[in-house]
Amino acid sequence: MGGYGDVQCIDENGIRLDGRKIDEVRPMSIEVGVVPVADGSARMKWGLNDVIAAVYGPMEAHPRKIQRQDRAVLDVRYNMAPFSTTDRIRPGFNRRSREISKVTAEALESVVLTELYPRSKIRVEIEIICAEAGTRCAGITAASVALAHAGIPMTDLVVSVASGKVHDVVVCDLNKEEDNYGEADLPMGILPNTGELVFLQMDGDLSPQQFQEAWDYNMGAAKVIHEVMVEALKGGDE
Amino acid sequence: MSIPLVPKLLRAHLADLAKEGKRHDGRGRFEGRKVELEVDCLPRAEGSARVRMGDTIVFAGVKFQIMTPYPDRPNQGGLMCSAEVRPVAGRGWEPGPPSPESIELGRVVDRGIRESGCINTEDLCIIPGEKAWQVILDLFALSDDGNLFDAFGLAAIAALKNATIPAERFEAGEDRPLEVSKTPIMCSYHKVGGRFVYDTDKKEELGGDERIHITLGDDDHVHSLQKGLKGIFTAAEFAEIMSEARSRCSELRDLIDQAVGK
Amino acid sequence: MSGDKGADGPRRSRQAPLLVAPGEDLGDSGEFEAGHGVLSINGRLRALKQGKMNKRGNIVSIEPRRTAFMPRPSDLVIGYIEGCTSNIWFVDIGAPFNAILPMSLGPAKAEFGGIRKVLDIGDAIICRVQEVEENHSSVVTMKGMGLRAIRSGSVEEIDPHLLGRLIGRGGNNLRQLKEDTECRLIAADNGRVWLDGDLSGIIQARNSLNDLLKQAKIEEYGGVV
Repeated sequence: MGGYGDVQCIDENGIRLDGRKIDEVRPMSIEVGVVPVADGSARMKWGLNDVIAAVYGPMEAHPRKIQRQDRAVLDVRYNMAPFSTTDRIRPGFNRRSREISKVTAEALESVVLTELYPRSKIRVEIEIICAEAGTRCAGITAASVALAHAGIPMTDLVVSVASGKVHDVVVCDLNKEEDNYGEADLPMGILPNTGELVFLQMDGDLSPQQFQEAWDYNMGAAKVIHEVMVEALKGGDE
Repeated sequence: MSIPLVPKLLRAHLADLAKEGKRHDGRGRFEGRKVELEVDCLPRAEGSARVRMGDTIVFAGVKFQIMTPYPDRPNQGGLMCSAEVRPVAGRGWEPGPPSPESIELGRVVDRGIRESGCINTEDLCIIPGEKAWQVILDLFALSDDGNLFDAFGLAAIAALKNATIPAERFEAGEDRPLEVSKTPIMCSYHKVGGRFVYDTDKKEELGGDERIHITLGDDDHVHSLQKGLKGIFTAAEFAEIMSEARSRCSELRDLIDQAVGK
Repeated sequence: MSGDKGADGPRRSRQAPLLVAPGEDLGDSGEFEAGHGVLSINGRLRALKQGKMNKRGNIVSIEPRRTAFMPRPSDLVIGYIEGCTSNIWFVDIGAPFNAILPMSLGPAKAEFGGIRKVLDIGDAIICRVQEVEENHSSVVTMKGMGLRAIRSGSVEEIDPHLLGRLIGRGGNNLRQLKEDTECRLIAADNGRVWLDGDLSGIIQARNSLNDLLKQAKIEEYGGVV
């Protein structure tokens, strides 16, 4: 559907369709314990995105061929519910979901101390029940909160956010229109305490300068999102 | 679904409780868990509902597609109902193609709704023989702590009653609410410790025997029945739960009417 | 929250418990050593789990909000027999991996082919972890005081990290509960709790357990369960 030149995503004052400034993230909230039967869970609402992550395990890895003798494997499944988008998604095998599951697993494996649980698997289920844009980022972020909620030892949380380019302007945290009509998308997975990266993708077209700008927006947004994550984990105790 | 180990102790304990007319969580024999029902909770669906019963949580979402009517019924649209219990819902639900359990779930809910005639398929016709609406009802389990059947049944009818036909988006006239003329409700009874109880949780399901699902429409008409799992029951047992189902269904029907604002 | 001091002295820092999330920096590793849930990385201490931070002596540790049960030698556990061969039982002990119970460590010797007469599939047992291998498979034994098959009562499950709360200081809570309900009560290290006695006593004990869990949840999530 992309390539509609007549959709104006940003006005002359630098205000976007949803009223945000170009470096502003969409409103978000995170809640833990939303899947009562799981070992750990989190629900993240981010703009119109509504994403639930549940963690089960560690448990014995089945089938045997997926077992690692020296560490646990993260069995991540990213899935979009049939009613999560404007056009219904047919359930079942989907190449896009497989790819996102793989990169999500690899991002999270970089922080989880998998070596403590050899031959085990930790199941991470990411379910998108309502999608706007940036579901993979919301999925990674929610999954890292769910892992922490399950008491899985990890060296840091993972914050994921995407910036991109619309009408040649770099903007932070793309919404649906910006994602559809934009020219570039740069999702990153950031470790908030060190600023290191565990996940990086990009598609589109960015000049070196624009790339740097998008990168910096992501780093700035990560700080904001990290606060929401920590607050959810610490709950109402304070 | 993986086959769980049934501890002998659990079965013996549930039987002990049954002898005294008790349940492990203190509920009465035909007492359900507290039901939370919320409609219009999924912004991308044309109709939606979320049901929580104890720690069982499910969503239902309605989507519409344009279909070509079947040649033998040129002026009718269609209804499709599919249930998916993905591994997010519990330790025992495994990834892979839909399990027989989740297929049974979807089909039993589907039958109750279809056979009640609550949706007039002729009302879904746009151009006879060419275009008609297909209503697609997707059921999604988030957390399974027993009795997904009733939770799905309740979410399904609530989501349908909440649905709007997105005609403008498909350039087929004006948006209008989906006509749902009846309120079929499912009640499930599970034999635990030798007698049927209503709305079992996971522990009772694990230590129980057969179960019976009853869907009743308005005026107590029966629209679907299903006996599941291994076990034997008598006509007298069935008559008892049938009369219980009648009163419970009308309670739940009121709950739905309240939630969808009628 | 408030700085109220416990009457029983500085048992642990009673000021607002410091809650941490994974990845949080807990200071220089020169002064303190890393305890449970803490890792020393490049000279800094870092939290690995969410929970309360405790400083005792020179050790910083985290009291986690949730933990998976990982068996350690000499743990008392309640298990379910899940399968068997002619001389080994496989036991579900609520850990990531099954434990094995060899015939030699079982309650009685069985004739060839008669192992299920001694312990059948679905039976519950109280046993002790004898050894845990590097790869987390474990061996349990039923040789020892009080280790036996459970034939009556009910087994409930709680999160292992709530055991301390159930047992209370010096076992006070558990003793009280036993007296109140006239039940036999065994809380195993894997979070399984055996209740045995009159049906009414079992029900009462189970209600107390559930209240405890609910209370813990309310404290964890600040009132919204």
